[in-house]
Amino acid sequence: MDAKEFLVQMKSRTGYDFCDYSSLSITRRLEKICEENGATYEQLLSKLVADKVLLAKVVEDITVNTTELFRDPEVWISLYKTMYQRLPASGPITFWHIGCSVGLETYSSLILLKEVGVLDRVRAFGTDLNPRVINVAKLGRYAYKFNSHFIKNFDEVMKNIGSSSKFEDYFDIDEKADTITVKPFLSAVPKFMQQNLVQDKVPFPYKVDVVFVRNVLIYFNDALQAKVMQMINTKMYDEGMLVLGKQELIPNRYSGQYKQLGFYHKRM
Amino acid sequence: MSDYKAVVIGGSAGSFAVVLKMLANLKPTFDLPIIICMHRLKHIRSGLVESLNVKSSKEVIEPYDKQRIEKGLIYLAPSNYHMFIEFDGTISLSTEDMNNQSRPSIDYTLSSAADAYRDKCIGIILTGANKDGAKGLKDISDKGGFTIVQDPKTADVPTMPKAALEVMKPNLILSPEQITDYLNKL
Ligand SMILES: C[S@@+](CC[C@H](N)C(=O)[O-])C[C@H]1O[C@@H](n2cnc3c(N)ncnc32)[C@H](O)[C@@H]1O
Repeated sequence: MDAKEFLVQMKSRTGYDFCDYSSLSITRRLEKICEENGATYEQLLSKLVADKVLLAKVVEDITVNTTELFRDPEVWISLYKTMYQRLPASGPITFWHIGCSVGLETYSSLILLKEVGVLDRVRAFGTDLNPRVINVAKLGRYAYKFNSHFIKNFDEVMKNIGSSSKFEDYFDIDEKADTITVKPFLSAVPKFMQQNLVQDKVPFPYKVDVVFVRNVLIYFNDALQAKVMQMINTKMYDEGMLVLGKQELIPNRYSGQYKQLGFYHKRM
Repeated sequence: MSDYKAVVIGGSAGSFAVVLKMLANLKPTFDLPIIICMHRLKHIRSGLVESLNVKSSKEVIEPYDKQRIEKGLIYLAPSNYHMFIEFDGTISLSTEDMNNQSRPSIDYTLSSAADAYRDKCIGIILTGANKDGAKGLKDISDKGGFTIVQDPKTADVPTMPKAALEVMKPNLILSPEQITDYLNKL
């Protein structure tokens, strides 16, 4: 059995469909998983069908959910000075974070919206296929140890946007419990929901002004990228704005429909 | 020029200055793509590609995901992403967990180059304070590629070249100047 066949079998036997993930990179991750489990593809498949815990872990390994608060600070600094100054001047503003993982990207954006002074008009949705990360996002609670770069990124962003806000304005730190928790006024804003881009409809009814889809499309092949772009275009207002990962471009077939303005793309 | 398809270079502590000098002294007609994976200090996220561009006669870019690898260009692994060479001649990026405490991981770039280019690849390990890259260089060697390790005596921090020498036997052990000369004579 090769990786491709494994994915077909995995789809029919577990319901998880990763057939349209970028084949070279998913093969590499699958080989690593097999190695770690000392299993062939056949053996891994039968283990997955029998063991829910292992299945969840393998799904996490395949789908890569690394994230940070203000990941790539230079991007957020630039967005603050550009995109966040060009939001609709009145009425609700709707944000959609696709592949939001544990929510840190969503909270990064909400902090900037608070800084801009429009938080009270914001509706924010975060979606991801992984129920575990969605639950962490809802709680807004993260380990303190190992995450000191959150504070560093935060301070770097605030310094460069000329804000005197402190980390403690947005987060409660509990060193004894080893946690950082998003303050309730902020964590009450977003709605986090499970959605698998391969098969599920968008789980909320509103049109959106701004879509974040960072470091998600890089794991997909052309067909699945196109499907997601289609989904975004259907949901987004004509004047909408799109933010991709720092090293991503709009997929070819759609590049004519957007104009790149620094770190974001404006729909044309 | 030879029938090599690319030069792949890994380095960490101290390697920035070495790469800067190599690129400055490479002859203008050198047209193999050069793919560089360097660890960066956390606080120097940006500016690396700009300073390399000032010194190099060739264009240095931080590639976008799925960007095609072309002759005469220099590709630098972007901060915070792993960089892989694919069979179809493109680069793919990933934000997977760190490997050897590093993202980008030199092992990932070199091993993927070994798979993609087999014996048509030159792999080079420079100065550095970490063992990342040793396994990747071995993979290049095992696939029949040509391998060079910076002479630890000439390295700012010899840990990385030494780690490579512990797991494999390179074709050459050279000083940075000799590496540049070697490339210029290809
Ligand atoms: C690398 S993370 C990116 C997190 C965040 N956007 C950032 O850049 O910091 C990729 C996320 O995409 C999610 N993902 C992968 N495949 C998906 C799918 N088919 N549907 C929805 N989410 C998916 C993963 O669960 C993961 O949380």
